[in-house]
Amino acid sequence: MAENYAGAKQLWHKFQLFAASSGTSSRATYSRKRTVMVFVVLSVLLVAATALYLYSRTWARMQPIIQLGIPVSPDAFANILARAIPHLVAMVASAVVLAVVSLSFQTITQSRVLTPSMIGFDSVFVGTQTALVFIFGASHLLFANPLVNFFVSAGVMIVISFFMFGFILRSSRNNTVFLLMFGLVLSGIISSSTRYLQIIMNQSEFFQVQAATSVNINNISADLVWYVLPIIMAVVVVTLLRHRKFNVMSLGPQQAKGLGVAYERELNINLILIAVGMSVATALIGPLTFLGLLAVNAARELLKTYKHMPLFIASSMIATFALVAGQGVMELLRGAVPVTVIINLVGCTYIFYLILKENRV
Amino acid sequence: MIQVQNIVQSYGRDKEILKDVSLTVREHEITALIGANGAGKSTLLSVMTNLVPAQSGQVLLHGQDIRNIKSNELAKHIAFLKQSQQLAIRITVNDLVEFGRFPHCGGKLGDEDKRKVAEALDYLNMGDMAEKYLDKISGGQRQRAFIAMILAQDTPYIFLDEPLNNLDIRYSVEMMKNVQRLVSALGKTVIVVLHDINFASAYAHHIVAMRDGKIAKEGPPCEVVTAQVLDPVFEHKFHIIDHDGKQVSLYYDHDEASACKFCG
Repeated sequence: MAENYAGAKQLWHKFQLFAASSGTSSRATYSRKRTVMVFVVLSVLLVAATALYLYSRTWARMQPIIQLGIPVSPDAFANILARAIPHLVAMVASAVVLAVVSLSFQTITQSRVLTPSMIGFDSVFVGTQTALVFIFGASHLLFANPLVNFFVSAGVMIVISFFMFGFILRSSRNNTVFLLMFGLVLSGIISSSTRYLQIIMNQSEFFQVQAATSVNINNISADLVWYVLPIIMAVVVVTLLRHRKFNVMSLGPQQAKGLGVAYERELNINLILIAVGMSVATALIGPLTFLGLLAVNAARELLKTYKHMPLFIASSMIATFALVAGQGVMELLRGAVPVTVIINLVGCTYIFYLILKENRV
Repeated sequence: MIQVQNIVQSYGRDKEILKDVSLTVREHEITALIGANGAGKSTLLSVMTNLVPAQSGQVLLHGQDIRNIKSNELAKHIAFLKQSQQLAIRITVNDLVEFGRFPHCGGKLGDEDKRKVAEALDYLNMGDMAEKYLDKISGGQRQRAFIAMILAQDTPYIFLDEPLNNLDIRYSVEMMKNVQRLVSALGKTVIVVLHDINFASAYAHHIVAMRDGKIAKEGPPCEVVTAQVLDPVFEHKFHIIDHDGKQVSLYYDHDEASACKFCG
């Protein structure tokens, strides 16, 4: 009995030693496990969202025909599916690029509550479209041809936003409150002048501007998607390749400079990438103000890491899920609720929560 | 070897912060920059580390203008710590020290980098704190973690901007002892901005007193910590006493300071 006790005691001691020796690494393995779990769950959700969307675009749409007892030929089915694919690609590409540039924007502004959309990007988009119609007319090539309109409005936005963000960032880096105020005033000025133009333009042009500046995924021209895809992929790849630099930059400009990051150069490169990514995505599917904010912060909450590679991937997956699943639901409801309404509602609530939380800390 | 040549630095139209400053940094020693608020100490430090590029004049590192050295290369020679260490992200001590290896490995740590990180942590007795989060440790420990990061950066030159800010006496002394050890045991060259003249007098080999954007006086503590030099630099009346061969400055007003009323 006593022997047994001594044996058990020794075993317990050994176990404690083992626990102590593995103590330092237990947190690391725990967080790796967590990361793997997050990615598995997100992948499953993504597959489900894609399935939902494709179902909503194919079977759900064919229900009336099937109910009438008319057989659907495989060819017809393939045709319908092929029409949905470019739209799916457009959503995935836009969601990914929005998430990626939102995260890089947050890192260079040292803020968790900002995205380019929130400091006036979306109003620049609407303003550009309105101005194009007002100056050239809705029937002009610049507005009527989706390809030409896309490249012109994306180009104008790239230039405007590059200088705008560059100016704001250079004058008030690390000052979230100032950035928010500036963005608020700026988007106020742009939207009220936009509204003025919309009031004095004729009604049919106004409706065309309205259609062009709201998110309507089913209206995206398939040709455009294939032209835009390489641009978006380039922005995403170039941004992702800098993930280690972003890690250092999240320490703040001074620390990053001290550790050998050419900060001004990085700032310019990233401003160009952000301007291009945001402009292209917005011109492709329309303004999705809160999607980037929602995705990036949800990724941060889930992964609890400062490392940018997992954050980039997770926030891209979350943004894609939100957009594709939201659009799928919208299709099933036959457009009763626009997808932006859902995303902005959730996003708005989330930013309230964030601001209140940051205030308390 | 770092040489500062005729630096003139101004903000705005005619607000000159530095007026023709020239200085040669003494190798393997602690150089302390002292002076009143706005004398240009921090600006000089920023220019010397190229955090702010020199507007006129130049800073030479081994004869080469530091504005022409790639930032990544410069970070292998010069490390600096600025006043505020507020981080926007939540990281552990170990993560922070690993950042010190960035100039060498671009963020992808190899075996040698990991060894240097472990060495730096050991050197500052932070081995058992490596997995603690920076916001969960005391100010003094946090400051030590930043010093460990700079040590992992493995540069011959270290610039510190008011490292004793917000530290109590015990941690301030500990910090200066660590800095001393960097110089005596590892052969580093340290340039440090200090507010407390007595810390400069006790720990620095060389003191540079700045006034109004110019160097008022430089030399060993025994030459600089004198009423003659300090009075105009700080525009204040100093009383210097000798304590075990070190000069100690008393800076409260002598006439007004009354003796303790209980012990007479």
